[in-house]
Amino acid sequence: MYNLFIFIKKYSAAIVFILLEILCIILVVQSLPYHNRKMVSVSNSISGGIHKTTSNWNDYLHLKSENELLAEQNALLLSRLGCDEVEADTAYYDDKFTYIPAHVVDNNIYETNNYIVIDKGSIDGIEPDMGVICGEGVVGKVLNVSKHYASIMSMLNTKTIVSCRFVDNQYVANVVWDNEYYRYGLVKDIPSHLVINVGDTLVTSGFSNSFPADIMVGTIEENLDDENGIFSTAKLKFSTNFSTLRHVYVVKNNFKAEIDSLCITR
Amino acid sequence: MYNTLIRNIIRFIALVVMQVLVFDNIRLGNYIHPYIYVLFIMLLPFDTPKWRLLVEGFVIGMLVDLFNGTPGLNAAATVFMAYMRPYIIGITTRKSDIEDKTAPSVSEMGLQWFLLYGLLLLLLHNLLLFWLEAFSIRLLGTVLLQVLLSAPFSLFVIILIIYVFKPLKK
Repeated sequence: MYNLFIFIKKYSAAIVFILLEILCIILVVQSLPYHNRKMVSVSNSISGGIHKTTSNWNDYLHLKSENELLAEQNALLLSRLGCDEVEADTAYYDDKFTYIPAHVVDNNIYETNNYIVIDKGSIDGIEPDMGVICGEGVVGKVLNVSKHYASIMSMLNTKTIVSCRFVDNQYVANVVWDNEYYRYGLVKDIPSHLVINVGDTLVTSGFSNSFPADIMVGTIEENLDDENGIFSTAKLKFSTNFSTLRHVYVVKNNFKAEIDSLCITR
Repeated sequence: MYNTLIRNIIRFIALVVMQVLVFDNIRLGNYIHPYIYVLFIMLLPFDTPKWRLLVEGFVIGMLVDLFNGTPGLNAAATVFMAYMRPYIIGITTRKSDIEDKTAPSVSEMGLQWFLLYGLLLLLLHNLLLFWLEAFSIRLLGTVLLQVLLSAPFSLFVIILIIYVFKPLKK
């Protein structure tokens, strides 16, 4: 205790000095707005840095449980992709196209001209000639619209023609159905100089007003080289499984009227 | 003793009034701002205890601050200056030189010594003051320029004041 008094007596000036300086700086920081803000921001950046470092360490320590969580989520998402239960999510929205989610209420795949009926109609903004897609790919085009329902000319219809494009080389062709098996269609009007490989992917060209570009149509299954001149034909496997179709999106082109007013003949 | 106290009180009030009413309104450019009230701390007798130097520095600095609306700014700088004063006296004089002297004034120690002593103290005072005002290491260049321009100007004004009020002090 005595030593403490000796110490205080010896360094009294320094102690008074430090106390007064601390008092002054507290006064400055408390009373002057600029200094106050500055102090807060400096202390925030220091504490923020500390928190960031500790959270980095924590993240590392929790990697294992985090991995398990991610794996579970992956499994969940994959199962959802499989049964196509994705409802209208924001990823499907952009400026040009609006997507109207709908349920399939009637579906046929064994006729020459197959039609799908959905539970959305004119009251929901469905109009004839709109494109219909699902999570897996293209479905077809709207044919007739009633108040609450609409009929769709599916890809499995000899009257349906969809303009599409090879992903690899951007060449454009048309996809039709040959009335054989619901998993396969035909790619017609392929320039004959084009080398077609099995597995080549076709997506919508975006040239029709019904579909946005880059919607999956299918992959080449077999090259049917009929050697009849300028165009060749290939067998296509639809990416959409029409027999299990449940949820679809009707594509509304927001600029259809504007495009039509330019008198493009279709 | 009584005489010294009266003189100190008059000096204290006069310097604060001059600082607040006149010199706080002088800003030459962005860099020169004279601080003359520190003369009070400079002229305190040699035998003033350290803690009294600090407390008086705090009081006069805080008084100027209250008029300026910057509580703590001048006080911090002046307390720092008061704390450094014994060391500055220590490095600029020999012990035998100040044995028979009462206060570090121009009349007792000579103009040349006082210029050095005053300049060193003003540099310390202004350095802390301008740095606290800027409150940023990024503005160090500006702060140093302010210090190097303001301290000599303040010293010049302080010398003028000493010669103008010479009869009052003696």
